[in-house]
Amino acid sequence: MDGITMAEAIREGLKFLAAGLCMGIGAIGPGLGEGHIGAHAMDAIARQPELAGPIVGRMLLADAVAESTGLYSLVVALILIFVV
Amino acid sequence: MKLNLTKGDKIFLLIFFAVYIPIAFLQARSVTLPEGIGQRWIVDIIPQWGLLGRINPMTVIMSWVTIGVILVLFAPVFRGFKPIPDRRQAFLEYILNYLYTSTKDMIPDERFARPVFTIAATLFLFVVVSNLLGAVPGVQVVPTEKGLEVSLFMDTWYSPTSDLNTNATYAVMVLILSHIFGIKAKGFKKWLKAWIEPTPLMLPLNIIGEIAKPISHSLRLFGNIMGGGILVLIISYLIKYLLMPVFLWGFFGIFVGIIQAMVFSLLTIAYIGTQIEEG
Repeated sequence: MDGITMAEAIREGLKFLAAGLCMGIGAIGPGLGEGHIGAHAMDAIARQPELAGPIVGRMLLADAVAESTGLYSLVVALILIFVV
Repeated sequence: MKLNLTKGDKIFLLIFFAVYIPIAFLQARSVTLPEGIGQRWIVDIIPQWGLLGRINPMTVIMSWVTIGVILVLFAPVFRGFKPIPDRRQAFLEYILNYLYTSTKDMIPDERFARPVFTIAATLFLFVVVSNLLGAVPGVQVVPTEKGLEVSLFMDTWYSPTSDLNTNATYAVMVLILSHIFGIKAKGFKKWLKAWIEPTPLMLPLNIIGEIAKPISHSLRLFGNIMGGGILVLIISYLIKYLLMPVFLWGFFGIFVGIIQAMVFSLLTIAYIGTQIEEG
């Protein structure tokens, strides 16, 4: 621990803590959203199995849109780790 | 599922594992987490200009590599369409047909459907090839404290879409194009009026909504490709080249790459489509 003051050490630690919290809390929303999308896609496929192809395609598209907020938190976490 | 392996396959697999596993075990002891994770090789061409005077050479090089790959793969197809398609032509026809039907779904007007389809298909081909380059082990240049370090086949090829500059360029281009299409379709007055709909109070919200489009459009692709790359590096640091990287490259490179390229071009169509049909 030579060459590093207490303030710097606390700053480094808080940086990683913030990145972890950012990613963890930020993953809740997309997880819920993608779960809903998947559940409803399953319902739709169970009702009309012959439409499974288009439904899966649109489900993946909706998943990709739903996870964008999670990706923002990923970007913020990366900035916290590598840039700040 | 039953695997039917010929004798040649079995011999190949045997030789492959006999070479691969000892190398993996020998390497496993010396593998360290690469130093330059998330760092970019940046060159200041004109230092006085600050941010505007610097480039990221890997992005430029890999963009040209991507263009070259697209030309080598698909230029022979456009030289002559055959009535009985070969493999490449069937693949390209499948992709373009899918994109064209989804364009027609969102933009029924034939006048605008064709140029929008051209833009979306061009973006799709570029983004999908550059994402797939990120699924193949290759050469990467990262800056470390000692200077530039060229890692050969330790990491995937640097994909141009894992640089936010590439994605932001295309997203801003799509935003400007969507407004040009909007002016063409609705006329200038109606386009101007769309900013204060339903009431003039909504003007700031409309402006923020337009600015948010390219940001989310570019960050979605950037976050997926860049985040996937870093995740693969960190997880494969645990068991480098034994089992995981192949599976992870398959998932983050091929699956996520193709889906995100599709999402990128479908959102391009959707953004332009909303501008056209509002009038």
